[in-house]
Amino acid sequence: MKKIFLLLIFSNFIFSELILEITKGTEDPYRVAILPFQGDKKLSTEIENIIINNLKRSGEFNVFQSSELLSVPNNQENIIFNDFKILNIDYLVMGNITNGDIVYEIYDITKKSKIRSSTVFGIPNKNRQLAHYVSDGIYEEITGIPGISSTKILYVTQEKKYRLIVADADGENEQILLESDEPIISPAWSPDSRKVAYVSFETGMAKVFIQNIATGFRELALENDSQISSPSWSPDGKFLSLTLYQDGNAEIYILNLSNKNLTRLTNHYSIDTESSWSPRGSKIIFTSGRSGSPQLYELDLKKFNAKPKRISFDGNYNAKASYLPNNEGIIFVHRSNTNFQIALRYFNENFIRVLTEAQMDESPSISPNGNVIVYAITDDDKGLLAGVTLSGARFRLPTTEGAVREPSWSGFLR
Amino acid sequence: MIFSRFNISFLFVTIFLTSCSSMNVTEESVYAGDVKTVQASSIDKQDISYDSQAVFANATVYFDFDKTNLSSKSLQTLKSVTDALNENPNLTIVLEGHADERGTREYNLALGQRRADAVSQYLILNGIDSNRLILKSYGEERPVSFGQDERSYAKNRRVEIN
Repeated sequence: MKKIFLLLIFSNFIFSELILEITKGTEDPYRVAILPFQGDKKLSTEIENIIINNLKRSGEFNVFQSSELLSVPNNQENIIFNDFKILNIDYLVMGNITNGDIVYEIYDITKKSKIRSSTVFGIPNKNRQLAHYVSDGIYEEITGIPGISSTKILYVTQEKKYRLIVADADGENEQILLESDEPIISPAWSPDSRKVAYVSFETGMAKVFIQNIATGFRELALENDSQISSPSWSPDGKFLSLTLYQDGNAEIYILNLSNKNLTRLTNHYSIDTESSWSPRGSKIIFTSGRSGSPQLYELDLKKFNAKPKRISFDGNYNAKASYLPNNEGIIFVHRSNTNFQIALRYFNENFIRVLTEAQMDESPSISPNGNVIVYAITDDDKGLLAGVTLSGARFRLPTTEGAVREPSWSGFLR
Repeated sequence: MIFSRFNISFLFVTIFLTSCSSMNVTEESVYAGDVKTVQASSIDKQDISYDSQAVFANATVYFDFDKTNLSSKSLQTLKSVTDALNENPNLTIVLEGHADERGTREYNLALGQRRADAVSQYLILNGIDSNRLILKSYGEERPVSFGQDERSYAKNRRVEIN
């Protein structure tokens, strides 16, 4: 069953800047029937829509709703498995909403049996979260990989002011973390997703701040006369790698967050910046101009006096790399001809895979399950966010106003 | 097999009933995820004295893509900047480096700094005290021309001297 299926869906949520738009799905999606959830009609419709959008956006599901089905059971006894089997449906999901909590069940049509029964306890006014948790449960049960609907994305918008915004992974539920008259760049989640580090120009010069998301408490990561930029958290959250300009040009340092000690990592007269830690914290990848054009280098932190090793060789611009969560490869910005695109390289392959096809794709950030990359694009002179799954599905999170850029994906929040 | 993780406002318990069947039974609570909005207060523009600045011609020098070397035209501009600095010994200037929008933001920030540094090296070689020079970069964040073409890009790859 190989089918190319193209979806073009504009959901009509009117409350937020970002609108979901799925442009392409994978070739062989799971076929899942989502039955109407029992309980409060308005709430269940809202929650169903969020779940369906979440599953579709992953690019891995072909979702069937009641109008497309031969029978619509409302409990386990009424399920006629053959009615679903005829439509080649793989899984069936039904649920019940009571007092703001959801109980949902997943059935395997081929096995004719229930494979999951789950309860999610809600909290008032967090119905979107409730729907995201159910989506993640369904995703995980069927694909075997943790879902990312309940994770968050951080990004910067520019209209009259610069804003650092956190939103749900579907672009909804936007909340402002910081508002400033001066540029904000390079936002980065702490590994526990409770804090963010970013570069703000509010003092008249690039400086790195750390901000607590829930309390709003913020402070300079390091008091220093120099320009400071490009923060990246170590996986244990105890260190930040930073770019400091105190030596006359951009050099990478590691800052110990508890005692503020600095350790210099690079020493070269050309640019060294955009550091990012490997998942286990034993290596740092960074962009360096030492070969005459921006290229990617890796530094082994466990070896004393280790020399940076060049790891990008295709083309004359490879920058802003980060590791896949499973440490099997890197994603980065690659220039082919005159276009900047998002590329992937697996360490066991000697070629790169260019994943996007626009002209100015930037700032790739990978989801914590390693399946989806969110990145910034420029379309019609406007900054937007787009996503691509490693299996090739694409979607966009377009804005109605303001330029959006510099997305950063949180860790798991469930 | 039981996994459990506790946070202040959240609890997640998963129980796999692997013994009796292959069905998963899970219970979890939604995480509140509160967010507080903060306003950044910008410091007033450069705290250097502008009194003597009037006699000084503000200048801008331009660069090629991903390059930091000074063109012959830039050298002429910088010669007059050197003269102005020599005539006004109390003058302190800011060298503000910029890049066009192509390429990554952090690399462009570093590139803007390298351009400002190239200008400062020239001025220092020509006898200007480094204490009179303040270097910074805005990378690609402060374009003067907004088009997506080489003409706009060329205007944005610059060091502003003022």
